[in-house]
Amino acid sequence: MTIEATYKKQMKMAELIAADNSLLSILQRLNIRLGFGEATVQDICTRYNISTALFLEICNIYSFRHYRPHIEELAKSDIANITTYLRASHKFYTEVCFPAIHNSVHNLVKELDDVNRRLIDKFYDDYDNEVNNHFRYEEDIVFPYIESLQAGGKKNDEAYHISKFEDNHSNISEKLNDLKNIIIKYLPEEHSSVVRFSLLNDIYAVENDLRKHSLIENKLLIPLVEIMEKEYGEE
Amino acid sequence: MEKSNKYKILLIEPSEIVSAGISAIISRSPEFTIVQTLSNPGYFNAQNSDIDIIIINPVVIDYNERFDIRSYFGKENLTIVALTQASYEESVLRQYNGCIGIYDSAQRIVQKLKSAVEDATQAPKNDINELSTRERDILTAVAKGKTNKEIADEFNISIYTVISHRRNISQKLGINSISGLTVYAIMNKLVDMSDFN
Repeated sequence: MTIEATYKKQMKMAELIAADNSLLSILQRLNIRLGFGEATVQDICTRYNISTALFLEICNIYSFRHYRPHIEELAKSDIANITTYLRASHKFYTEVCFPAIHNSVHNLVKELDDVNRRLIDKFYDDYDNEVNNHFRYEEDIVFPYIESLQAGGKKNDEAYHISKFEDNHSNISEKLNDLKNIIIKYLPEEHSSVVRFSLLNDIYAVENDLRKHSLIENKLLIPLVEIMEKEYGEE
Repeated sequence: MEKSNKYKILLIEPSEIVSAGISAIISRSPEFTIVQTLSNPGYFNAQNSDIDIIIINPVVIDYNERFDIRSYFGKENLTIVALTQASYEESVLRQYNGCIGIYDSAQRIVQKLKSAVEDATQAPKNDINELSTRERDILTAVAKGKTNKEIADEFNISIYTVISHRRNISQKLGINSISGLTVYAIMNKLVDMSDFN
């Protein structure tokens, strides 16, 4: 059985980026500055006060399609680091990725007839609301719950339980995927394709990123929180 | 076919008993040989291997990737056969070149492997068909905001059938959300924009 190489803490940060440029977006959202010379992953993580184990898990999840995350590599203290990372990701999506897509959608609909313009505009606006609600729910309810749990008190929100999060965890890439197929397969094309190609590339990129994002939530965050909830339950 | 030129099989099955049983049956056939067995797909990448056939229990595939089986192993022209102990959506199994059930006889298993190999040499699996008339009718009702129950009553079919139609529609169009289906329906003049204002 062939085991693909995974990233290790002794590797140079520049090597990781050379191996997979999609990791650049992780550095961007963690505010890690470029120009890191020969510094290793561990050096950089220490410098920025980021958990090396968590950083490696995230990078491995991003780069290796069949990577199975290892929660046993992480400490309970990493839970707070995960929520910090997820908040930074939300910020990255809402301030960088989605505005770019919105802008392209705006340019796209300019070329359409009245009916199709209203259709696509409304579809995208609804999606935009859905995404914002999704992020707001996590930031206002889920993350504070997890953070208070970790700070040692479950009492202030006894009614909440991480399994509710799993129940409410809607799939926010569904509509994005629909939009993609509508453009590729069904939207009549009368003008230039430039806008469409660039929009599709942006959608593919953010879709891929959202997929990794939910892997981090489902395979790292939730299992860790469940362990912690169980410990509280036993006390 | 030369004896030395048997089809090479990778078997991915979590149960050791089942795995040993299938291996024993296949080892008796002159056409096929199992060269490797795994309990889960792990990081297996078929690209650099000389495997011809993968027999895999779909239970080991991550649920989100159940429709991506053709791209899962990174190699084109693989014959992929499902080894099932439970039932799966038809649209999931359709991606496989064949499907072996654990109650199949030894003879039937080898037969199924042969037709799977034939199937794999035919046209690619992703057939995107036009919607049938029935599917267009149901899509129209969905776009108008009707519930599965209402649609079942209107067409005099069971809710289960409505659900399976909707699944097939989404599969064919590549559109899953109701609002996406509505966009498609309006674009194709199945319903009118004025129905919504």
